[in-house]
Amino acid sequence: MSKGVLVDLTKCIGCGSCTVACKLYNDNKFEKDSPAIGENPKLTDENWTIVTAKKTEKDGQPVWRYVKQQCLHCEHPACASACFAKAFQKTEEGPVIYYPHLCVGCRYCMLACPFDIPKYQWEKSFPLVTKCQMCSGKVAKGEAPACVSVCPTNVMTFGERDEILALAKKTIESDSKYVKHIYGEKEAGGTDWIYISDVPFEQLGFRTDVTTTPLPEYSHSFLKYTPYVIVGWGSLLTGMYLYTKRRNKIAQEEKKDVHL
Amino acid sequence: MDKQKARSTEMTRRGFLKMFGSLGLVGATATLAGCSKEPMGGKGWLPQQYQAASSYPSQVRGRVPIDPNNPSIMRDDEKCILCGQCLEVCEKVQTVFGHYELPVKDEVICVNCGQCTLWCPTAAITEKDDTARVLEAIEDPDTVVVVQTAPATRVGLGEEFGLPAGSWVEGKQVAALKKLGFDYVFDTNFSADLTIMEEGTELINRITKKSKAPLPQFTSCSPGWVKFCEYYYPDLLEHMSSAKSPQQMLGALIKTYFAKEKNIDPKKIFSVSIMPCTAKKFECSRPEMNDAGLHHGDETMRDVDAVLTVRELARMIKNKGIDLNKLPEEKYDQLMGTGSGAGLIFGATGGVMEAAVRTAYFVLTKQDVPEGLLNLKPVRGLEGVKEASLDIPGVGTLRIAVAHGLSNARKLMDEVRRGESPYHFIEIMCCPGGCISGGGQPRTALPPSNEVREKRIASLYAKDASYKLRLSHENPEILALYEKYLEHPISHLAHELLHTEYTSRGDKLTAKGSKLG
Repeated sequence: MSKGVLVDLTKCIGCGSCTVACKLYNDNKFEKDSPAIGENPKLTDENWTIVTAKKTEKDGQPVWRYVKQQCLHCEHPACASACFAKAFQKTEEGPVIYYPHLCVGCRYCMLACPFDIPKYQWEKSFPLVTKCQMCSGKVAKGEAPACVSVCPTNVMTFGERDEILALAKKTIESDSKYVKHIYGEKEAGGTDWIYISDVPFEQLGFRTDVTTTPLPEYSHSFLKYTPYVIVGWGSLLTGMYLYTKRRNKIAQEEKKDVHL
Repeated sequence: MDKQKARSTEMTRRGFLKMFGSLGLVGATATLAGCSKEPMGGKGWLPQQYQAASSYPSQVRGRVPIDPNNPSIMRDDEKCILCGQCLEVCEKVQTVFGHYELPVKDEVICVNCGQCTLWCPTAAITEKDDTARVLEAIEDPDTVVVVQTAPATRVGLGEEFGLPAGSWVEGKQVAALKKLGFDYVFDTNFSADLTIMEEGTELINRITKKSKAPLPQFTSCSPGWVKFCEYYYPDLLEHMSSAKSPQQMLGALIKTYFAKEKNIDPKKIFSVSIMPCTAKKFECSRPEMNDAGLHHGDETMRDVDAVLTVRELARMIKNKGIDLNKLPEEKYDQLMGTGSGAGLIFGATGGVMEAAVRTAYFVLTKQDVPEGLLNLKPVRGLEGVKEASLDIPGVGTLRIAVAHGLSNARKLMDEVRRGESPYHFIEIMCCPGGCISGGGQPRTALPPSNEVREKRIASLYAKDASYKLRLSHENPEILALYEKYLEHPISHLAHELLHTEYTSRGDKLTAKGSKLG
């Protein structure tokens, strides 16, 4: 069964504990010019998660909301389907993880991701792609990811995806302040990290025009013929080669006869 | 044969080097490319204090939110270890964090007290550094830089220079400030005396019903407490004394009274205060704290231009290579440099109350203040909530209460809210122990211990006992100020410069336990 995390954005106070926990667990660097919290933080190869302070409005009143962002760990990840080297793999427990030793550096994953999550180590001589691994080692042991376990206001709930989805549904139904939308329930065919909020998601910078079709399906309809094409095309060319070769040989032999 | 053999050895050496060279190259490439079959990501909590990488973060608890625009405190993420000490002090001692409902509104709730800077074990949370602005003003030859020092600074600064807790460094501090290039050094003890005159008169007016404002009256010297009241008890703001804090009173007077007496253009004055407090940085930036400016018709002029904590002052002194211990003792500048013992004990919990009672007794009875009021034991010490009843001949019984640390303040405030408060006058200091243990004082053992607090407090009371001048209303410079400039307490001009009003911040949060807002 797939694990997931429910993020209740109404509970976030913007302390940024999760961003620090991520760096402490994954040994990522702090970079002064690309902070992980504030009004304009950026996901980078060192910032696998960020918290953006959004100064927005609700019912005509100014409100501040804080948006935690990281890999959503799609159920059908586009990055993994785009990667021909199998460097991205969806695990059974949920996390979509990256194996550096398989990566060839083509960066197709970066183009494939609808949420613009994978980042490249542009400044390194032998760069890799990076993104949140959902602390896959911890999740494999049944523990919550580092960011989830340090949150002082319990913004995040870690659990089986169907259980947290049921919790999300119950929460937004029982409290009128929530918008009736669970982000990640259907987006990109469903993600393991899901969000609920009291402010519409488009106001918080979420991409709401994402298809609900699992992205790999788009290419799967024709890419599934790839092996047949390769084998068929190969056999055809081989056949033609052998045929031409044999014809030339016969022709040469005939010429010989003429000269004799 | 020999030749051939030699050639082959030569070839072997070359081949050998070649082989190892290429192996090294391949190895380096593989290492740099991160050729390991592990997936990317952490293997365990890494910071040093956990001794070994482990998957279970037993001591990782999170932290308080800090607005990047907070005027008082800031945090270096790189130093934060998520130990949760800031949460502990903010939630349990100051009852700020965790006492409002989520979701938040449009503000990061903070009373700017800075206790978290004292509790943070890695000094990730610090005061916002304003030393550069002050140094710039000092270096500008056209600017007259005036500085004031709060009562508690003189029993704190010495610790930054290796002296034991509570060491008295008043004279050395003045000398250091002069050496740093401040043009005039005044004493906030002076304006503490002035606060007693104004706030005491206000109290008497409330008791004698000359004023319609309700009882009990609350002290207003502690900006962390004032902001806390504005957040959590906005319905009780009428109880707050309208008198400004000593820092803001002196700030307003520096750009009016002092400028007039010395014939200096107030626009050329840069007013600095040395405080044991980070909330004072917020207080001086409150929009309404520009009364001297309004008086001169320039509303952009601030009463106090910059606040430095004791820690920042210590840094400035160290950066200039000055050894505080070797400095001779110097005296404050005249005009606003004399403070009584009553003004001095403002630095300790119960001190404002004791100072006020001494003067109120005299004003109400016109008799000499009895010995008991010069050593008002019930309001001294570190007990959270202290109370006393005083018989004042011809007037009746005066009931007073003192609390320090905002969790203790809540006890008295809830009583007032229920209409059950028996008191006439309540003193609240935001920080446990009072200003002597304020968020801008030198960092001590973690968390700050009562032992240190007691030593600093004892130092203040010992000096008070040794002073001849122990009553605010006897301070000759205060008498001169009223005679030459302000006329009398709560005069029209005093009201303009020395009093203020408060803003309800109740709409910035939904307090827990209330269904309002």
